Amino acid sequence: MHEIDINLLVGGPQGGGIDSSANMINMAFSLAGYYIFGVREYHSNIKGRHSYIHLRIMRRRPGSLKYPVDIMVALDPDTLFEHMHDVSKNSKVIYDSAFEKFDLSQARMILPDTLARIKEELSKNNLPLNAAGVLEYYHSHGIKTISIPFDKVINENVPEGPSTRYYNTLGAGVTLALLGLDMDHAIAGIKYAFRKKPAVIEPNVKILNAAYDFVDKLGENIANLETYEAKPRMLLNGNDSVAIGKLMGGLRFQTYYPITPASDESNLLENHEEIEYLSEEAENLRKGGLVVVQTEDELAAVNMANGAALTGARSATATSGPGFSLMAEGISFAGMTEIPVVITFYQRGGPSTGLPTRNGQADLDFALNTGHGEFPKIVLSSGDMEECIYDAMKALNYAQKYQLPVIHLIDKTLANTMDLVPEIDVKKVKIEIPEYNNDENNYKRYSLNTSNGVSPYGVFGRDVFWMTGDEHDELGHVTEDPEIRDKMMEKRMKKLETAAMEIPLEDKAVLYGNKEADLTFVTWGSQKTLIMDLIDELKKENINANMLYLKMFEPFPSEFVESILGKSKTVIDVESNMTAQAAKAIRLNTGIKIDNYILKYNGRHMTIDEVLTATKNIIDGKSKMEVLKNGS
Amino acid sequence: MQKTVYNKGSYNFRNNVTIDWCPGCGDFAIVTAVTQALSKMDMDPTKVVAISGIGCSGKTPHYLNIAGAHTLHGRAIPYAVGVKLANPDLNVLVMGGDGDMLGIGAGHFVAEGRRNSGIVVLLYNNAVYGLTKGQAAPTMPLGEKVKSIPRPSILGKINPSALALASGYTFVARAFSSEIAQLSDIIIKALNHKGSSMIEVLQPCPTYNDVNTLDWYRKRVYKLENDKSWDPEVNSADEDEEKFSRAYETAMTWGDKIPIGILYKNNIIPPFTERLTSIVPDYFKYPPANQDICDKNGYTLVDPFKTFNEKVID
Ligand SMILES: Cc1ncc(C[n+]2csc(CCOP(=O)(O)OP(=O)(O)O)c2C)c(N)n1
Ligand code: SF4
Ligand SMILES: [Mg+2]
Repeated sequence: MHEIDINLLVGGPQGGGIDSSANMINMAFSLAGYYIFGVREYHSNIKGRHSYIHLRIMRRRPGSLKYPVDIMVALDPDTLFEHMHDVSKNSKVIYDSAFEKFDLSQARMILPDTLARIKEELSKNNLPLNAAGVLEYYHSHGIKTISIPFDKVINENVPEGPSTRYYNTLGAGVTLALLGLDMDHAIAGIKYAFRKKPAVIEPNVKILNAAYDFVDKLGENIANLETYEAKPRMLLNGNDSVAIGKLMGGLRFQTYYPITPASDESNLLENHEEIEYLSEEAENLRKGGLVVVQTEDELAAVNMANGAALTGARSATATSGPGFSLMAEGISFAGMTEIPVVITFYQRGGPSTGLPTRNGQADLDFALNTGHGEFPKIVLSSGDMEECIYDAMKALNYAQKYQLPVIHLIDKTLANTMDLVPEIDVKKVKIEIPEYNNDENNYKRYSLNTSNGVSPYGVFGRDVFWMTGDEHDELGHVTEDPEIRDKMMEKRMKKLETAAMEIPLEDKAVLYGNKEADLTFVTWGSQKTLIMDLIDELKKENINANMLYLKMFEPFPSEFVESILGKSKTVIDVESNMTAQAAKAIRLNTGIKIDNYILKYNGRHMTIDEVLTATKNIIDGKSKMEVLKNGS
Repeated sequence: MQKTVYNKGSYNFRNNVTIDWCPGCGDFAIVTAVTQALSKMDMDPTKVVAISGIGCSGKTPHYLNIAGAHTLHGRAIPYAVGVKLANPDLNVLVMGGDGDMLGIGAGHFVAEGRRNSGIVVLLYNNAVYGLTKGQAAPTMPLGEKVKSIPRPSILGKINPSALALASGYTFVARAFSSEIAQLSDIIIKALNHKGSSMIEVLQPCPTYNDVNTLDWYRKRVYKLENDKSWDPEVNSADEDEEKFSRAYETAMTWGDKIPIGILYKNNIIPPFTERLTSIVPDYFKYPPANQDICDKNGYTLVDPFKTFNEKVID
């Protein structure tokens, strides 16, 4: 039987219900035993601008998204115009009949350049610049459009209205019906989506029924999806996953200044300052809660986190590019004074304010080179939900064990990816408590009497010691003595060597797929799962590929990377930036220069179809550099 | 967690680190006032920390025999708040210059008023950037000409005590470094105050500021407490408006007469630490610095499914 693989797009105005539409679809399919995978794309805007959710539904767990989509739900007329290229022959486009009167001269929320491009495309096809034009465009491309009188259907079923409140449910309902998901699971999905607002379940179920009736009459089912037993799973995005990992990893103090796409992590933590404990293990232990502080700016965020860390509390902050820029001095201070702190760095499209709500992986160089002077720090990156969770735990461990700042990189796509996580293993990562000093009255916080660079730990409230961002002696007092300076520099940097030795290889880089492949992808971050899916796709076409996936950039797994790339045949570097920063790191550390690139910097998530096409172009010798363009 | 052991009572709060301020600098007296205050309180040296920024003033923690963090220019307050909120058992002293607190760190200085975390800020007012050789600090009045600047300052001044009041500090005082007994007494009261305190310390810098000298201040300062009717304490909401206005007016008094003493002490606004207990009920019992985060085998204590239950689909 053909593998179930449904791709969806729900588009609508920002703040206009696409989230709840997608949520209902997610819940229904989750409960019916499917996996869902999705990304949310939105403008830096609160209400009105076009946003969309790109979803994929499969029995196995997908790790990528795909265009063209099978069903597109337009909750605003803009969707019809913005995504003309995201559907193809046999796709179905669902829209509100009211949009049929729409003329592009009314398109207030479509950006001028986008609008110009849409008009050009319609004109080229001799089509009028209105809904009739775009619908004709779809029809001429073999795309089925389904017009639904939204207000009429809703008013007939829930006359008390307001009808706009149910657009999302109607859109979701028609989608579920078209996919032939049984009514019971659809209702269960709706109930689940509204479980916190039981009063609205009944009218929404009525709308759902109406949607199913409508599709019945239409006779347009594109599938008849079976249902399966579903185990409990968690629907998480990258922000959620890091928050969960941090809390599990012992985080008890988090600071933040609001910024997209980082603050969702802190906001979730703010909602969970009271912790639920694993009952057996926590008995008779000192169980408190988490403190989250919204600071006046990112200068305060990083430095307050540093301050909290001085007391022994596990401490962290989260930000994105503009905020990270302000944190550089505090990170250098943490390096100099050996403060264990974690900075979760959510990359978005830069430079400057850039594309504040869009994807980017252009801050690797910045993370690696942040802070003035030379000091040890660990820079790691995650590529899926499980990694976000366990890496957040490990990041807190590294910070404490090696007494240094740890920068944990996440990209916006990953932060906003929705994924069903089947399991969180509470015993996967052990919490490593650093060794405290036993000196009673003569504690040397920066003792040089250490072979691995790590001096015995001490904290305010327990020990008396000093610390300063100036070069310092073993007690932590200012010194400019040239010999001590050398020794302190060497002691601090030694910790990086120690970390490099102790951190297992699988936490730094992993080779996925066949060792002897003809084609090796090199990538990091959110492309991890996409490339894994792609390797499977290529297998079907008898192309044998593997992936060198990078997780830690400092300390860098030079030997391993060298051993893989040294004997790889064709190597393609895949990144969401313009200057191939991971490839640059490889070259810097190993001298190896990668020849082929697939890059994307328009801020939209990569999709597997475009990477596949680009890969073939490279394999066929048509080009060495492919710049991806998908996404509206 | 085992603790460092000290004999109370006989503890010497001044360590043996050589002080490298200029002869005649007002900062010496501030160290004396702090050590006197801590001795008088019989403070457990592991329960008090000193946190400073960068500047001549920033060196203070190194001279005290208590845990000290000499942090970044302008960032002493965030560090101090981090320490205080992670471990509210600690008494947190903050030392910063006027450049540090009102120039580069002005945002934190103001924000701390809103937070009222319960830290004690000593703002060293010498009207100059001492450590970078005497440039005008945000406390230097418009048109003042000290020897380290080439012409009269064309920037206006901020009044630290008035700004502290406007920002929401619940304890605001002005002191003069040479009035050691009064300063040390104010420090004790500030350490015993629940919310955040800001003590503006007028501090002669003989090296760069030849206008606001020791004598200049001596001639002008007068103690508020000498007026028996002076009562800066607010213990109920209805007396706040009047006492606040009077404090503000007194803070703005500058020129031939400069008032020193406690300007304002509000005992009713709860500190940030208390506000936190509405979110984390066990905050004071097990603050962030004083919790178990794993079991004896090193495994997490957090139940992710129960804690983040809203994310579970079953
Ligand atoms: C980010 C940053 N900018 C500039 C400096 C240089 N700097 C060191 S001390 C100082 C001014 C100190 O003046 P103030 O805070 O009034 O302290 P004082 O020396 O007068 O006690 C400056 C600007 C620095 N250390 N850090
Ligand atoms: S420059 Fe001024 S403030 Fe600095 S130590 Fe000398 S006298 Fe004191
Ligand atoms: Mg100064």
